Amino acid sequence: MIDLPVAWANYLSMGGFVLLGVLVWLIPRRLIFQGASEASRWRDIRWWATVLIALQLGLYAIFT
Amino acid sequence: MHPLDLIIVLAYLGLITFVGLRLSGRVKSAHDFFLAGRTLTWGVIGLSIIGTNIGANSYVGAAGNAYSVGIAQANFEWIGAIPAMIFAALVFIPLYWKAGVYSIPEYLGLRYNQAVRVAAAIITSVVAVVTIAAALWALALTLQTYLGWPTWVGILVTGSIVGAYSIAGGLAAVAFTDMLQVCIMFVGGLVIVGLGLAETGGAAGFASTLVSDNPNHLSAYLPADHETYPWPGVILGLGLVLSPAYWCAGQAILQRSLGARSQWDASAGMMFAAIAKTFVPLLIVFPGLLALVMYAEIEYPDQALAWVVKNVLPPGVSGLMFIAIIAALQSSIDSQVNSTSLMVTRDVRYVLLKNPDPSKDLKVGRMLTLILLLAAMVIAPMIAAMGGIFTFIQTVFSLFQGPMLALLILGAFTRRVTPAAGLWTLLSGVVLAAAISLMGLNMLYVAFIGFVYAMVALWVISGFTEAREDMDFDKLTYVPWRRS
Repeated sequence: MIDLPVAWANYLSMGGFVLLGVLVWLIPRRLIFQGASEASRWRDIRWWATVLIALQLGLYAIFT
Repeated sequence: MHPLDLIIVLAYLGLITFVGLRLSGRVKSAHDFFLAGRTLTWGVIGLSIIGTNIGANSYVGAAGNAYSVGIAQANFEWIGAIPAMIFAALVFIPLYWKAGVYSIPEYLGLRYNQAVRVAAAIITSVVAVVTIAAALWALALTLQTYLGWPTWVGILVTGSIVGAYSIAGGLAAVAFTDMLQVCIMFVGGLVIVGLGLAETGGAAGFASTLVSDNPNHLSAYLPADHETYPWPGVILGLGLVLSPAYWCAGQAILQRSLGARSQWDASAGMMFAAIAKTFVPLLIVFPGLLALVMYAEIEYPDQALAWVVKNVLPPGVSGLMFIAIIAALQSSIDSQVNSTSLMVTRDVRYVLLKNPDPSKDLKVGRMLTLILLLAAMVIAPMIAAMGGIFTFIQTVFSLFQGPMLALLILGAFTRRVTPAAGLWTLLSGVVLAAAISLMGLNMLYVAFIGFVYAMVALWVISGFTEAREDMDFDKLTYVPWRRS
């Protein structure tokens, strides 16, 4: 474990975020809008998650 | 203290007390006190979550850690928070809403049994009191550094102010004051970033000075043999265990989600908090790096933030930042006090008393809020003897978060796990984690080992123990792809 390159940590993190991005979109739409007053696109929090994941990918790409 | 700073500090204290006490009129029942009458909107929830999260273990401690290890400290805000927050928003918050619970121990009680509920509530409450004490101590240190107050005065003043609005206004007061406090934190933090970069030659000048003396300080991860934050430990322990346990099972964090006006508001609030969380390193990591770049003369890394406030910011602005620090710590304390009071009032009292009277919940909740705060105020001075604030809290968390997360994950996603297996796994998992911790293993690995043990033990023991016949799995498990 001692000799593991630090760059692997960034690659693993970015890979994990990509996987999470895929999983987010596997959640059915009807579950996303439970309790919402309307089913408009901005209320689809899967998009919020996608923006977040994109931000994280950028951060882990920059700080290597 | 400059008169302008003093005016700002007094105005802040007046505003927080006014808002907190004004909301006390809304509290007519325990439902209002603990869940804000289920009226909170996603914006309030999101900011309140951030306010709760940024406390002793991040604002003062994180700036100190950033001073020592650099941008790697931001992992506690990024890989150590965002995936778990997304998971909480999309999976666990909908699950808790479906179960209709007040607290996470209550969910565990429904999914396993009342013994698991009490054990989880007691363990969480004990850790919470220590967390509150650590927050009070951090705040007292800040007040001592900046104002020269003796630490006991800082503890007394802070405890009294937080106690006043938390006892009177309950979760609504806590959430709305948290929201105000986070706005102040972001304004103060962004001013520090602007002035700090201006003083150090802009972003390029700042970065080049930083890495010239500290080559690893702009690397997100530290080497695998790093003593405190080895990268495999950060990913396995923080990313896979501590963070999901904190964001998906933390009562103080999730209580405002359970107080939302709708399930969508609850989930959207958590997602909004995650977006804000991405930028939190600007507030809590940057000051530590700035102190390093400006060659701050400080005795301990935890003094980095106070040094920046005192030496970089002009009068008026330093008062604003000073109250941002107070706000961060107060918002953490008030949330912990309110949520712990809830767990003791309902999860411990309801199970241990034969005939608890629900009509007394409000009175009991308020009494417990006072008692918990007083207990934390007494413990606070002892925190000084226990090393760095941040590391201490993380060490305590690491002991029980692995087993707790295992119970939640297998309980939420499978029908196999049994009540007896849940209780034995929780208790033996905490003992195992404590034993490993005493052997000197890094806390991140302790958390991961505790979690793996608990997952295996829960699965195996469930094979030999009896399942509950009356379990409503449709309500207590998460199955997104079933036809409705």
